[in-house]
Amino acid sequence: MPVLWIVAIILALAVIGYFMGRYRAIASAGGDSRKLHSLPNYYGTSVAIFTTVFSLLVLIIWLIVQPLVIENRVSGTIPAEAIPEGSTLGLVMSDVRRVANGLDIAVAGGAMTEDYASSIRTEFTDVRDRLAGVGVALGSDVGSSTLRAAQLYRTMSATGALLMAIVVLAIALGGFLFALMRTHKDFRARNVVETSIRYLLIGAASIAILTTVGIILSLIFNTIEFFYRYPAWDFFFGTTWAPSFGGGSELGIIPLLWGTLYISFIALVVAVPIGLFAAVYLSEYATPRIRAFAKPLIEVLAGIPTIVYGLFALLTVGPLLLSVFGPNSVGWMGAASSVMTAGLVMGIMLIPFVSSLSDDIINAVPQAMRDGSLGLGATHSETVKQVVLPAALPGIVGAVLLAASRAIGETMIVVMGAGAAARLSLNPFEAMTTVTAKIVSQLTGDADFSSPEALVAFALGMTLFVITLGLNILALYIVRKYREQYE
Amino acid sequence: MNQMPMTSENVTTMPTKNTKITARDVQVYYGDTHAIKDVDVDIEDRTVTAFIGPSGCGKSTFLRCLNRMNDTIDICRVEGAIKIDNEDIYDKKVDPVQLRAKVGMVFQKPNPFPKSIYDNIAYGPRIHGLAKSKADLDEIVEKSLRRGAIWDEVKDRLHAPGTGLSGGQQQRLCIARAVATEPEVLLMDEPCSALDPIATDQVEDLIDELRSQYSVVIVTHSMQQAARVSQKTAFFHLGNLVEYGETDQIFTNPKDPRTESYISGRIG
Repeated sequence: MPVLWIVAIILALAVIGYFMGRYRAIASAGGDSRKLHSLPNYYGTSVAIFTTVFSLLVLIIWLIVQPLVIENRVSGTIPAEAIPEGSTLGLVMSDVRRVANGLDIAVAGGAMTEDYASSIRTEFTDVRDRLAGVGVALGSDVGSSTLRAAQLYRTMSATGALLMAIVVLAIALGGFLFALMRTHKDFRARNVVETSIRYLLIGAASIAILTTVGIILSLIFNTIEFFYRYPAWDFFFGTTWAPSFGGGSELGIIPLLWGTLYISFIALVVAVPIGLFAAVYLSEYATPRIRAFAKPLIEVLAGIPTIVYGLFALLTVGPLLLSVFGPNSVGWMGAASSVMTAGLVMGIMLIPFVSSLSDDIINAVPQAMRDGSLGLGATHSETVKQVVLPAALPGIVGAVLLAASRAIGETMIVVMGAGAAARLSLNPFEAMTTVTAKIVSQLTGDADFSSPEALVAFALGMTLFVITLGLNILALYIVRKYREQYE
Repeated sequence: MNQMPMTSENVTTMPTKNTKITARDVQVYYGDTHAIKDVDVDIEDRTVTAFIGPSGCGKSTFLRCLNRMNDTIDICRVEGAIKIDNEDIYDKKVDPVQLRAKVGMVFQKPNPFPKSIYDNIAYGPRIHGLAKSKADLDEIVEKSLRRGAIWDEVKDRLHAPGTGLSGGQQQRLCIARAVATEPEVLLMDEPCSALDPIATDQVEDLIDELRSQYSVVIVTHSMQQAARVSQKTAFFHLGNLVEYGETDQIFTNPKDPRTESYISGRIG
């Protein structure tokens, strides 16, 4: 029975359960809903919850576990000599799955009967040919052990699916009946619903956390894998980045980190003063009418996709810089792609981050501070400089650090504006590249996934992750310390 | 609390008074709201003048006219004449920033800056360039803290943050901060409303001492406080100055029935 049908049946049962629970509760109170402990809807909802939640949970777990179990059992039946030279068990298993899938299609399309599909032998039939006839192309001839494994795979899948349908529907029905039996006018359905809402919220929060943990674990394992193939010392302290897919690459992170930090630095030099002054103007000087108009307008900058900034860097800022600093004038710049191009554009992208966060923080400084300073005969700008900004400083530092971690993680602008050459240089008009841009180029090639040239992407990602995580923690720490001052 | 005024003795021993602040026909508008109507008042030098009245009667608004703090509110408009030492403070030639150095202000809630105690006091003198040297500044800070009656409590921790003091200490710090710029008038907007009785007592003692050098104008909700610390009292009601006179007379023998109703607790 397809999964969709199982879900549909469970949901139908839940709807029926809702109305039956409601009806039963009202009936037990003699038709007077005021005598019920909870509102009638709660009784219905509690039946619906008991019908759906446990059965759907079991369904999800079953769908995850069943392929693993079958894979394990089937791969055990493949003899070692059936694995060709230079291949792995994993490759053979993917053949097995493909053949099994092909047989399914053949049966569904009517090209084979169910009995025939489970009894054909390679000795008597050219399976590859037959499957090609129903549109399933196979890379090589099907060996007898592969076919037998595929047939076992199909049988087990079919049994598993049947078993799953029975178990899941039984649980749904069990929950339905249990909850319905419990429904009585004194049953505290409202509390049951309240509890399940709490678990729903906990579930949502844990999915976010578990995903993060999963991403970190995958980064860590692949990074470890990389360090088995490439020495960690050479990675962290190598000054040359020269991947070559034939082997013998030099994968030193230093030039990439340098490019990352250089571009981020320029971006912050652009974004912090402009953003901060904009924030001071908006929160201290602008009339409410200008503020209501200007603040959203600045924040529009934050909504522009970074690829559009990349285009801006590539087509406008780069050529402009080239005409000013290029070979025709001072000759500092060789091509439109440079650290300066990417840094300037990234700085513009970061302005709304700095200004919006700083604006909120400056607004959070109590009016009493300003009154106190103005009351002592300070001018507006003295007040801002000596009282408001120092009071807001920790928060502003937090905002700048958040902008910095955004700059370090930025990819698109770098790819389009800074070039692709990994270089250690002080000249901001030379092309350089960053960690993020190299992650893209290392993973989008057709390199063997288990080679150090591809796996280095994970080590780069891990390094970047540690840096930005550190910055974010620092930023949060500073912002939190700031909060304690006024509350 | 002693309901009887305690200041009769002080008043009689005070030297002859000069008028420090003169207000004539003052009108204040918040947008379309007419907040202060036709206020005429003469505030004397070296005297504590109390403004009393129910909430929203305009006493704080009028106080804020005296150092043009209302200028920082966009919709606020002031008409009429307010003169300090015979100089119209709303004249175009007057710089409100300079005026506020001359007319210090202490606010309802203690608002020390998030700086050290020393820097809180030194803030005004630094802005106005009152100190020639570091030693000079040290002296101003010490003198101001002594006048604020808080020197003994903080002299060992001048570089600790001002926000770490208790509420009463913070308010005295703010008074010391206002005193540090050598003002001639000190405006206090309910300076004790956020303080406990002990801290209130300390601040009231301080106000009484400050009278020897400054003209102090205090807005208060507490009639006992007005009776305790002030020599002159002005009663505001619905934006009008109803009655103004010696504190004794206002509390014992008010002329206006509205004043009598208010101080006897029937309105407000």
